[in-house]
Amino acid sequence: MHIGIDVGGTSTDGVLLHRGELVQSVKKPSRQEDLAETILAVLDGLLEGRDAGAVRRLVISTTLVTNLLATQKGARTALILVPGRGLPFDFYRIAPDTYFLKGNIDFRGKVTEPVEEAEIERAVADIRARGIGRIAVAAKFSNRNRTVEQEIARAIKRLYPEATVVLGSETANRLNFPRRAVTAYYSAVTAPEWNGFADRIEEALHRRGLKAPVDILKADGGTMPLVLSRENPVETVFSGPAASAMGAVALSRRKENAVVIDIGGTTSDIALLIDGEPLHASGGALINGRLTHINALALRSLALGGDSAVKGESGRVEITAERFGPAACFGGPVATVSDAFACHRGLKLGEAERAREKIAAAAAAAGLEPGPFAAAVVEQALERLGALIQGMFREWENEPAYKVWEIVHRRRFRLDRLYGIGGAAELIVPLLADRLGVPYLVHRLAPVANALGAAVARPTLAVSLYADTQQKRYLVDREGIEGSIDNPEGFRLEEARKTAAQCLARLAAARGAAQYLNDTRVILAEQFNMIRGFSRVGKIFRVDVQIAPGLIDEFEGVAD
Amino acid sequence: MKPTGLLFFPAFDWAISPSHPEREERLLYTRDQIFEEGIMDLPQVREYQPRLAEARDIARVHFCVPSIKDIASEAHLVAAGGSLVMADAFAAGEIKNGFAIIRPPGHHAMTVAHGNRGFCNINNEAIMIEYLRRKYGYRRIAIVDTDVHHGDGTQEIYYHDPDVLFISFHQDGRTLYPGSGFVEEMGAPPAVGTTINIPLAPYTTDEGILYVLDRLILPLLEEFKPELVVNSAGQDNHYSDPLANMRFTATGYAELNRRLAPDLAVLEGGYSVETALPYINLALIMAMAGIDSSNMREPDYDPAAFKEDPGNLARLDRIAALQLENFRRREDERAAAIKKGPPFYSTTRQIYYDTDHIRESQQIKQRLCPNCCSYRVIASAAVHAYGQISRALCFSIPLYCCSACREEARDAYRQAVQEGGGADYIYLQDRAADDYRRFDSRGDTEETIN
Ligand SMILES: [Zn+2]
Ligand SMILES: [Zn+2]
Repeated sequence: MHIGIDVGGTSTDGVLLHRGELVQSVKKPSRQEDLAETILAVLDGLLEGRDAGAVRRLVISTTLVTNLLATQKGARTALILVPGRGLPFDFYRIAPDTYFLKGNIDFRGKVTEPVEEAEIERAVADIRARGIGRIAVAAKFSNRNRTVEQEIARAIKRLYPEATVVLGSETANRLNFPRRAVTAYYSAVTAPEWNGFADRIEEALHRRGLKAPVDILKADGGTMPLVLSRENPVETVFSGPAASAMGAVALSRRKENAVVIDIGGTTSDIALLIDGEPLHASGGALINGRLTHINALALRSLALGGDSAVKGESGRVEITAERFGPAACFGGPVATVSDAFACHRGLKLGEAERAREKIAAAAAAAGLEPGPFAAAVVEQALERLGALIQGMFREWENEPAYKVWEIVHRRRFRLDRLYGIGGAAELIVPLLADRLGVPYLVHRLAPVANALGAAVARPTLAVSLYADTQQKRYLVDREGIEGSIDNPEGFRLEEARKTAAQCLARLAAARGAAQYLNDTRVILAEQFNMIRGFSRVGKIFRVDVQIAPGLIDEFEGVAD
Repeated sequence: MKPTGLLFFPAFDWAISPSHPEREERLLYTRDQIFEEGIMDLPQVREYQPRLAEARDIARVHFCVPSIKDIASEAHLVAAGGSLVMADAFAAGEIKNGFAIIRPPGHHAMTVAHGNRGFCNINNEAIMIEYLRRKYGYRRIAIVDTDVHHGDGTQEIYYHDPDVLFISFHQDGRTLYPGSGFVEEMGAPPAVGTTINIPLAPYTTDEGILYVLDRLILPLLEEFKPELVVNSAGQDNHYSDPLANMRFTATGYAELNRRLAPDLAVLEGGYSVETALPYINLALIMAMAGIDSSNMREPDYDPAAFKEDPGNLARLDRIAALQLENFRRREDERAAAIKKGPPFYSTTRQIYYDTDHIRESQQIKQRLCPNCCSYRVIASAAVHAYGQISRALCFSIPLYCCSACREEARDAYRQAVQEGGGADYIYLQDRAADDYRRFDSRGDTEETIN
């Protein structure tokens, strides 16, 4: 048995799968103030009359971190930065309690200006005096040299041993210092609450005799073990849309280019599948207006859903961003997008007569007949959704590229299929697919695609290796892994690839991801000869490898 | 406030040869610095992606011998296309200014292109400027070439065009490639005074360059009133550059760009890939984006390290006075040249292609017309390294040509095509009609370049 639970803004869905069939699904309202309780209630609903010991895996997708960051209710955290050369320090005032230290590391990892002990001491004393118990530390180019951050961490340990420290170089160590600092900061901010949540879940599962691995869904559509999420809880942000996208992957299981559209009450979320895999945002997740190093799906949202109210005004037809209740045909007070689509398509849905009356009233206000009014709403909705989707295609086609080959061979997005999820998908998706000129699918399990996606998502893991043979060393962007290169002359791209793959394997073992290593993909492999004078003094490599989002091996699909 | 446009195209898969200064590594550390700063994430900066320049974009500026395909590789087309993307964004009002950090560079490439000169095959700035003029109607343009080497390609392309003010400061040609760029190179008679060269003594510092900026370059721009200012932004004046001997710093480059306030900047040379380029490029981006760049300096920067020689400043004063006078006399000089006749101004020139070892000789004729800056005819013969000779006859009609001159030039082209006249290739560049043709005498075929 496999269980997936997805916490949404208003309700929480859970599914229990057995031998490729959905045997139970549960829906409960989400209590945002106690998500653990909501999750356990859904779990109990799923397990009712079943043996918890037979569960093979439980995956939870939760809004806990998203909410914490959105409401800024995380733990007060100080941020110590060593920005070195570059933008004025003011550009990095990321946290209310930000401390700047002197010091500089260059792009090759050379410390050109050391940090001053006295400055560290002053900052830590101040943090301590303010009673701030958590400290995130990030230095510019700490991805090329961790010693500066480590030195600060040692000083904190000595001066303020009770403080918890998160280092940028151990959370997200790719290029981009502000994103690294933000990621480390958010990680520290959300950790206490997240750990409390993890403790409760672990304890409750133990009581229920559920011994299966518990995984958490991440923003990138993959999972990580609950125990490891304690180190980097911020990776669980925005897992809801990731759950839906993985649900579409699970329901289709086709290596196609597709649009997944999740049409809710007042918003539509759109994700892209490229060859059957969800597309990631090149910029990393955007949280509270700040970009991070967290891999997240490329998503676009539009304030347009099935319950969006429509109105007419002196010849104009408007789809508003407001919701006054369900669609008129389901007893709502005003005409909605759903009513317009049902009316336009001549579908008998719910109280069809009531819907027609509300449409007629709105049409009259626009000075139109009901038919043309509904048609105009439909046209406007399809136009806006279509434009958003086309915009996503263009963005994918124009992803930053830095090689001649990539510019000359610019790719084109060729859409194969449209997947609909969410309450109003049945009404809107057929017409949208028609406009895009592709077939569509609104699966019978679409209403629980999110929980299903969580249940069958496999672990993901990405590793970026940077190697410098002149300095005879390599660094990896996770968990502080680094090593020396013993034979710099013989270290070529092939060796760099192997080293990256070894690091990936090491990390995968702890994440229950070892069985997916044969699906390791090289995302980027670049090498540069370092020439000084007229001779080569070394090489610089960068190799990115990953286990991409996908479905667990045990899942073989559900019937259409 | 509109953002600054940034187009970063490091051509990580292109090099002239593995250990050449123009190699893959050139912008590697600049990439590291740009991305580590997170500069692309700032609201003050918007990143753009390059596209391929089209053949007609190249033909608007160059006569490529034997063909565009042979001279401009895909890398060159992407670099040139990158400058066009910046131009479009600027002309459309999306950005307040733009910086194209592109390679390969272009400012040594001349109108007739037989191969690579000074690491350049096609001239990115000129291609960008002619595109802007054609598509958006710009006319008066100023180019300030801040590369340490004389921008002889750009100078040659605009030598006869009074609507383009070309200003180049560079290390004195007696001490550095390409050995030109002296004050007496002032433009062809119909455009005399709109080419301004400022040869600098080796070891000139920030102070010296900013001195000549304030006393000569900015006043020239003030008087010329260009619709557009382009910085041909080389970075090899830096004190650590291996190919030259100047003492300019990243801080100096930022200050230069702050005062110059170019609308568009296009990267040219600069070969101190590790100790200069990351700092100069970032400082320049910040200066253009209106961000305080005082914290963006080299790790070994010492403001007191280089002192300007007072004798050098006095010399710069003399150059400034002389060039301002040359510039202010330009209308009279031009009128006198046209009045005096003969109907054609003609000259000859030898050009050496250092990278490709080509020796080219040219005969140049420019029509002197009271109504327009008229057409040019260039007869070019190039001797390649292995002894092969190629000859080209080129007719170039500027965008703002009067109709009489234009007809005359087109007739001359047609007549040359009929008679052959010993050229392997005969070209027509009619910017007024955006019509570009290449006639191959051996195959007796004419093609229109699109
Ligand atoms: Zn140069
Ligand atoms: Zn004329």
